[in-house]
Amino acid sequence: MDEYISFEQLPFGSDDFADNPESRCPCMLLLDTSGSMDGEAIRQLNEGIATFKTEVERDPLATKRVEVAVVTFGPVSFESDFQTVDNFFPKHLNASGDTPIGAAITLGIDLVNKRKQLYKQKGIGYYKPWIILITDGAPTDAFAQAIKLIHDGERESRFAFFAIGVEGANFDVLRQLSVREPLKLRGLAFREFFLWLSGSLKMVSSKNPGEHNKLLPPTGWADL
Amino acid sequence: MIWKVIGQSVIGSSHLQNGKGCEDAGTYRVFTMPDDSEALICFASDGAGSAEYADQASAAAVSAAIEFALNLLGNGEDLTDASLLALGEHVYDRLCELADALRTPKNECSCTLLGCIILPEKAGFLQIGDGAIVRNDGYDHFTPIWWPSNGEYQNSTVFVIDDADLANLNYKVIDEPITEVALFTDGLQQLALNYESMTAHQPFFANLFPALRKAEISEHLSILTTRLSDYLSGSAISSRTDDDKTLLLATRA
Repeated sequence: MDEYISFEQLPFGSDDFADNPESRCPCMLLLDTSGSMDGEAIRQLNEGIATFKTEVERDPLATKRVEVAVVTFGPVSFESDFQTVDNFFPKHLNASGDTPIGAAITLGIDLVNKRKQLYKQKGIGYYKPWIILITDGAPTDAFAQAIKLIHDGERESRFAFFAIGVEGANFDVLRQLSVREPLKLRGLAFREFFLWLSGSLKMVSSKNPGEHNKLLPPTGWADL
Repeated sequence: MIWKVIGQSVIGSSHLQNGKGCEDAGTYRVFTMPDDSEALICFASDGAGSAEYADQASAAAVSAAIEFALNLLGNGEDLTDASLLALGEHVYDRLCELADALRTPKNECSCTLLGCIILPEKAGFLQIGDGAIVRNDGYDHFTPIWWPSNGEYQNSTVFVIDDADLANLNYKVIDEPITEVALFTDGLQQLALNYESMTAHQPFFANLFPALRKAEISEHLSILTTRLSDYLSGSAISSRTDDDKTLLLATRA
């Protein structure tokens, strides 16, 4: 997947399949960093991601299993490749630009597929990947292809896609994208959302891959 | 830029706790030959934990070795077993001078030494004590030049200053074009070497060299140098060793 990676992000010494044979639970974060997120929203998002890392790290096994990758959009940028949480050092995100959701989703799904191939190559077991989209706007690019990729992927159980809308998000579009009902973030409760996400991933990653999982209820952060 | 090299010495957590400094040293030079080809000189040294002036000794050993190698190449002399032996003697003499200047017994300047001088078509290697030099055999397989000479126990080794005759000095000249080399002090032995099979732990090197091969400009090398330092002091490594560690990596385009 080198074609997306800048020199700074080339794997260097930390890609530890050899030393960490645990099954992986990949989580792709597609984060809106368009201009409208500027100010309090981006600040809360940054804090939320930091909280996520701290929370997952409380669980040593989840730390070895949950892998996070980040793609931001406004414009689309592959911020960090899949890393186990102990090797995940979130970069500070700044808000600017438009909202190319379609391109971000296409890239995110491609990266998830490539990650699964890599697990297979390395003989590492894995859980169903999670793709999480967080946005406060509507796509400024074409997203018909993204809809198709998500629906195909969900039907074939290749990943689970979750859409989280912040105040101002176009929920009609999110409903077209996601097969699950999109959830609306209450205010700027990013911290509460990422607490939920870390809790859910810890729960998922404590079971055997493929075992049926019930998600935690999205209490505290979603307006249902 | 024919040779692309990065290297870092990082203090170990046990040294931090004991209020000691980093007692490892590592340096490299790329020497441009009269025909515009490049020679690579790399040396590293681990100061003995028991020696009072371990940090000064390792720094002096590395700088003496580099100085000798630069002179050798600068004078257009041939790289032979004899010149490697002379290099070892030069380092020994320098450590004796250091001990005299510090008015201290020689063993307070105990340190290991390992390194290489790589010419386009041949290479000289030299080592006293533990740590290891690993080379790419040309098929992306990394092999140690020598297995580290620990004594009977994991924490014992030999030092340059132990013997004026340098009986413990390993040296050899290989007539092959070496394209990639890594050298490291004993702090990394448990991670970079597989003790059961007495081979280099391939994934350790396979995770480091690809990025270095892709470096195209000096800015890339400075990025990787920073990342190497982060990696060596990060939890992945510090959870497995509390010793100082030095790692030099070199690849040629």
